Amino acid sequence: MSDKLQQVINNQNRQQELGISHTDDVVQLVGFIIGEEEYAVPILSIQEIIKPIEWTRVPQTPGYVLGVFNLRGAVIPLIDLRLKFGLKSKKHNEETRFFVLKQGDDVAGFVIDRLTMALRIKKTDIGPAPDTMAGDESLIEGVGKQADRILTILKVNKLLERDF
Amino acid sequence: MDEFQEILQDFLVESFELIEQLDQDLVELESRPDDLDLLNGIFRVAHTVKGASSFLNFDVLTHLTHHMEDVLNKARHGELRITPDVMDVILESIDLMKTLLGVIRDTSADSGVDVSECVSRLDKVSGGDGEVESPVLDAAPVIEEKEAEEELDFENMDDADIEAEIERLLSQRQDEDKAKREAKIAAGESVPVPPPSPDEEPEEQKAKPAPKAPVAAAPKAAVSQKAEVFDDAKAAAPAKRAPAAVEQTIRVDVKRLDHLMNLIGELVLAKNRLIKINDDVEERYEGEEFLEELNQVVSIVSLVTTDLQIAVMKTRMLPIGKVFNKFPRMIRDLTRELNKKMELEISGEDTELDKSIVEEIGDPLVHIIRNSCDHGIETPAVRLAAGKPETGTIALKAYNEGNAIVIQIDDDGKGLDSDMLKNKSLEKGIITEKEADLMSEKDAFSLIFKPGFSTAAAVTSVSGRGVGMDVVKTNIEKLNGIIDIDSEVGVGTSIKLKIPLTLAIIQALLVGVQEEHYAIPLASVLETVRISRDEIYTVENRSVMRLREDVLSLVHIGDIFEVERILDSSEHAYVVVLGLGASKIGLIVDTLIGQEEIVIKSLGEYLKGIEGIAGATIRGDGGVTLIVDVAALMHMAKGVKASAMIEETSSVTKEKTKASDYTIMIVDDSKTDRTIMRKALEPLGITLIEASDGQEALNTLKQGDHHFDAMLIDIEMPRMDGYSLATEIKKYNKYKKLPLIAVTSRTGKSDRMRGVESGMAEYITKPYSADYLASVVQRNINFKSEF
Repeated sequence: MSDKLQQVINNQNRQQELGISHTDDVVQLVGFIIGEEEYAVPILSIQEIIKPIEWTRVPQTPGYVLGVFNLRGAVIPLIDLRLKFGLKSKKHNEETRFFVLKQGDDVAGFVIDRLTMALRIKKTDIGPAPDTMAGDESLIEGVGKQADRILTILKVNKLLERDF
Repeated sequence: MDEFQEILQDFLVESFELIEQLDQDLVELESRPDDLDLLNGIFRVAHTVKGASSFLNFDVLTHLTHHMEDVLNKARHGELRITPDVMDVILESIDLMKTLLGVIRDTSADSGVDVSECVSRLDKVSGGDGEVESPVLDAAPVIEEKEAEEELDFENMDDADIEAEIERLLSQRQDEDKAKREAKIAAGESVPVPPPSPDEEPEEQKAKPAPKAPVAAAPKAAVSQKAEVFDDAKAAAPAKRAPAAVEQTIRVDVKRLDHLMNLIGELVLAKNRLIKINDDVEERYEGEEFLEELNQVVSIVSLVTTDLQIAVMKTRMLPIGKVFNKFPRMIRDLTRELNKKMELEISGEDTELDKSIVEEIGDPLVHIIRNSCDHGIETPAVRLAAGKPETGTIALKAYNEGNAIVIQIDDDGKGLDSDMLKNKSLEKGIITEKEADLMSEKDAFSLIFKPGFSTAAAVTSVSGRGVGMDVVKTNIEKLNGIIDIDSEVGVGTSIKLKIPLTLAIIQALLVGVQEEHYAIPLASVLETVRISRDEIYTVENRSVMRLREDVLSLVHIGDIFEVERILDSSEHAYVVVLGLGASKIGLIVDTLIGQEEIVIKSLGEYLKGIEGIAGATIRGDGGVTLIVDVAALMHMAKGVKASAMIEETSSVTKEKTKASDYTIMIVDDSKTDRTIMRKALEPLGITLIEASDGQEALNTLKQGDHHFDAMLIDIEMPRMDGYSLATEIKKYNKYKKLPLIAVTSRTGKSDRMRGVESGMAEYITKPYSADYLASVVQRNINFKSEF
């Protein structure tokens, strides 16, 4: 029994070491789909991912701000990324999720069409945003290249910034 | 060091509290210079501060208070008469003392403030009745040194000796006092105060350190335990102010109270939720035995929560006297500055308010009172000419009224002249002539709150810049308060501030507009009225209504919050009359839901500052309800045109070109029944959508993915039955004409009647033939068979 335990601990240690050696050049992201495109945000900026729940409309806001919802006692704004990205709104379905992103004290929920997966991506595989969309105002942090696809990595601080 | 800091903190808190009391006492003293009670009280403050500050090595402060003490001591023993000039010096020294304490609070040291001038003036007053100057100055440090020596001596004595010494000195003084009092009484009080006799002076100086020794050693205990320390002295000190029953208090960091308040907020939300769930359970399991038990628990929890909330709120309550205390001094200063005669009457200073509100209310009151002094109260000559008493009175009152506290400031001055106010405003371009004509007297009074408005002919140091009253309005509105002005020319002005007791948890009126709910702080709701549509008139593009004698301008909540009109609006509407500051408005809503206790939550960084929304709250059902910002709403209402009652019907009817353009929803909880209907209708080629209960059907309908031409509805279904579904659907404007066909095995007459009542167009009883169903459906959707 103790041998087994020791083995497990050893394994974990090894994995941790691996992890440490990897943190330098690997980013962990969570990918999701909006419209036709795949996007990603750093995993650590995600507070939680929940299924759609009821929300309350807030007047005097742009269309992509759907309103606010109750997340265990906290009132959190809800933003529809489809509308924000200029797509038409779509009815929520089985795959729709609310992405609750958090940075510092700023928290907001974002409606996405569907989740893809959590992934590790080498820093060297992340290219800068295309020149036409780069800059401080851009929502795009960079473009991650995978074997069979590319995904757009979004700036969490920009997403959480009020722009109206 | 930490210990020192702790003592220092206590010292500061105590000193500031003492000084607050001091200001008031001193002003009172001026009118009753012979009041020994007051004098003793004031003397004690100076003495306590001196004792504590010498212990903490604040030499400058000690020096100053020491000399104050000298003056006060003389006054106390009847050797010095408190004239206004003497009082000026004393007040000045107290201001200096405040400055010093402020410096100590900020830097932990008392350097950097020059007190020598004030000290010399104090000496002048106490030493030679204002005639002799220099010698006293020199004397002071000497006396101090002597004192220090003596103090050392006392410290070297053993306890018994000290006790004996104290006893001796006290009895000595007792005798002295007695003798003096008797002498005074014998002389009939009017004998001019004898100049300080040189023999008595050192005697006093010696006598003082004795009681001081224990005080200096325990500065913290000085006030509360004084009664004990001076147990013997109590009898001796002539009519010492009866110490109020010693209060058992504990100082708590405000942050902790705030945290506690937040937790209670969460608890209140949970309670609301529990009550809601209890109602649901009650409905579903009617008659079950466990219900009673559940009911009991729920009511106990809700009772205790409410009590707990009140208890915690109370811990945050401060008497408003804290704010009122500074006004007697202010009035006194203004009296001298403006050369008017004024008196301040304070009542209800025990009325309690939340700490955060007490902090906010000070400034507005200062402005209102200064305004009353400067503009309201006339000069003595004018007053006499008008047949009023020479001295003007300003009455400051506080009292509770329901869930609010009212602060009332009355003056018996010249009053507000509404015509003059209008003219002044016209001159300054604050209002237009048209507006002026439409203004009621009350509206005119509230002009004084407009920024840039001033009735004073000249700007004085007191007022006249047209800023102060604007501050009043802003601050009071921030607190969700209401301002009410009453005035009569020549008689006086009365300003009432009505402020909610607390800010974190409030009572709110929940209103509904279409499918949305909003919470309006009850403090701003004056009344609610039910009106029919034809009671609403339009004047210059604005909706108005008559409310008793007044004309009330109206605005629809839907216009302010851009609510989509999907539900049919009924013949009647509710008007919530809102009052804030000095203005009023009627808010039209569709329904009144009720009154609820709500906890204000912020909308967060992302959505803060949305116009018209003050925050959000979480309701019993877990949903979020927005709280209306009444001040902003009133502002927004000005820009809203009277579109309020115009109904728009924009139903897009698409031309049907093929059979599958027709869409029908089948609502039945039985899969078999749905299949039977499907089989019967499929031959027609029309599109069929299924739903397994009323709730699902309603959701599908609302999502608007399909444009339905008819619905087949079973009556008995879980979650929402057919009748309720039909009733719900018929609430919507755009579904008014949607044919609903009941398909049921209920054949009773009353069932049919209910079907008709709830808006069913047809009633098909099971079993039915496929052809019959198809023909009924075809008839209802105007199906053209040529496809």
